[in-house]
Amino acid sequence: MDDSDNYNNKNDTPSASFCVNSSEQERSKEEQELHELVVPNLRDLPVTPPSAVEANFVCYFAPDFMKPAHDQYIYRHANGLCVIGLAPTHVALKEKGVTAVDFNVGKSNRSEIKVTGKRKKNAQHFEANTALCKVCTSDASYIVRCCVKGSLLEVNDRLIDQPGLLNSSFCITGA
Amino acid sequence: MSSYTEVSQVNGDEEAHVVAASEAAQVDTNKKEAQVTAEAIPSLPPHVVKDLLSIGVCVRCIFRLFGVRGCAYSCLSLLPSDLLSSVEESKGSHDCAVGICSKASENLNCALPFQESEDEPVFCSICLGILQFSYSKEKETLVKKYSASEFAVSIAELVKQEGHQIESFSLEVSVPPIILANERAILLYMKRKYGSEPWFQEKFLTEHTSVKDALKLLIIDSLGSLLFGTGSEDSLIALDSEFSEQSACEADAVFRRSLDGLPDHLFCERFTLPPERVNQPCHMAFLCYRTPIYIGGRYLKYSRNVSQSRWIIDDERMGQASVEEIIGGNIVPLLRGDDYKFHAAGREDIDVRMLGSGRPFLIEVQNARDVPSCVAVKQMEQKINNLEDRLVAVKNLKVVGNQGWNLMREGEAEKQKQYAALVWISRPLEEEDLQTISSFKDMRILQRTPIRVLHRRSPLEREKIIHWMKVGRITGSSQYFLLYLCTQAGTYIKEFVHGDFGRTHPSIGSILGCRAEILQLDVTDVKMDCFLTE
Repeated sequence: MDDSDNYNNKNDTPSASFCVNSSEQERSKEEQELHELVVPNLRDLPVTPPSAVEANFVCYFAPDFMKPAHDQYIYRHANGLCVIGLAPTHVALKEKGVTAVDFNVGKSNRSEIKVTGKRKKNAQHFEANTALCKVCTSDASYIVRCCVKGSLLEVNDRLIDQPGLLNSSFCITGA
Repeated sequence: MSSYTEVSQVNGDEEAHVVAASEAAQVDTNKKEAQVTAEAIPSLPPHVVKDLLSIGVCVRCIFRLFGVRGCAYSCLSLLPSDLLSSVEESKGSHDCAVGICSKASENLNCALPFQESEDEPVFCSICLGILQFSYSKEKETLVKKYSASEFAVSIAELVKQEGHQIESFSLEVSVPPIILANERAILLYMKRKYGSEPWFQEKFLTEHTSVKDALKLLIIDSLGSLLFGTGSEDSLIALDSEFSEQSACEADAVFRRSLDGLPDHLFCERFTLPPERVNQPCHMAFLCYRTPIYIGGRYLKYSRNVSQSRWIIDDERMGQASVEEIIGGNIVPLLRGDDYKFHAAGREDIDVRMLGSGRPFLIEVQNARDVPSCVAVKQMEQKINNLEDRLVAVKNLKVVGNQGWNLMREGEAEKQKQYAALVWISRPLEEEDLQTISSFKDMRILQRTPIRVLHRRSPLEREKIIHWMKVGRITGSSQYFLLYLCTQAGTYIKEFVHGDFGRTHPSIGSILGCRAEILQLDVTDVKMDCFLTE
């Protein structure tokens, strides 16, 4: 397990180093102390730790939102911001066939809104039933709704170029 | 000169009754003042002086308006009636000098209250009693000092009460802005009435000493000697401490600006010329305040439940304690200060430990009564480091001057930080991964403002640099490992590990092609040049 790239190889200094001056000794002592602090005790660690989403957000689900099998998730952070996305059971994700994502729905293109500044100027107010985007598969398209009342700050514009992300990592690729 | 012998004779007889600090120096000063005053008197046109006295201008303001400078101001208890009579006398003879001197010295020797004659304005129409040392303190009590040095004595008393240990001071006076209006009113009145007279052209168009400057001139010397026991000029250099004396309510900058912008003819319309007499003096508030003392050093945080600054939401404290309270709370009482402000070069989350060399910080102690010695500072350091719960430690604590600020702020944004993160990935770690990670040098990443701070920060995309990374395997685990990295200041490490819904790219998750989570983070080095061990 220990290879030369391993951080803790300084303890293997061979034989006599009489000429090591005291500041170097001090420094390596400090490093040793630091190392001991940093390395965890495996017994204290869970086999599988909670994900960042689980640890920082409250996860809500909206099954059959306005239409059957339109299952969406809402991850709400303690600061009030929410991430909205497709739950794994959403009909669009069956067969993993998402081909395109279009943000041009309703009255504006959601991917073109520029929200600026601490006060989040230009953020549009949305109701629960306002459309966020349209997800297309080879034979159908589905409207994704906001599910909560609030202001839209940002959309996941990577989905425009890489709609396949929804197929592979839907839980961590929110809208 | 005959005038001098007069004065010294009088003084010799009445020594016991001298009011001011009975030192030879004081007597000499008085002689000098009397002489300067005597020299100034002949140049004052008597009819004007009488006129001004009748509209309620005090003697010192009259001196100011006529451009009399120097220590004539402090001539003790110059009665208006004396001024008037000596000015009238001076029209003819040279004996005025004698007259004014003997009268002045009589007042010097007489400790008793001020005689109020009809000509005496109770409170000057211009300076509102400030240059007459009449003012009201809290609870509406009227205070009247009879001389500049008596006034200085009362100020010095207030300072000594605070118990400051100082080497120098600076005096700041602020006066109500209405005084500017009053002075302008008097000047315009005089211009209107005497504008054609020859002396007016000569005397009146020059700069006048302001009420503020006059007051400062009057008391600064005696204040200096009272506080430091020496009369040297050096003590007037403003260094460690400050006093300020505020008359009436806070100066209104807006008032001043509008007054400056008002042309003379409009001024005459809106203000009465000459201004009406006042029967109430100003209120004087005295504030003695020391310029802040800075103590700098580096702090370490060993707890994952301690925030950097006090964090209270809805009356409930977040975390067990805070770094600033631990450090500030143990320093301020030792200096007998009033309060502290904590400044640090950057910050870390509450659940992130600060280890290694520590993070530079500055404590600004406000209104400290004592300046700590090197030994005292060492003791402070030991006290903090030996606290029972060992949440925080400090290093290299020392008193710093104003350059402490610059040291900290300089290049704060460019400095690099080193971290150790405990990372978990969703698949076993391979040898290859170690190589991949070590191979990145000065990698650029794009971070959108993390969701956890997006509510209070602007939504921006920030490019950051990861200078190097190294993996430390943990024996016994294939999915947990330590990630050591060195990044540009301002990089969000947690988001770099888990990717923040793909908003930080690249991330450890995207580099290794799996899900990555961060469990613990420690800052191991803040690469800055300040407050290092010498």
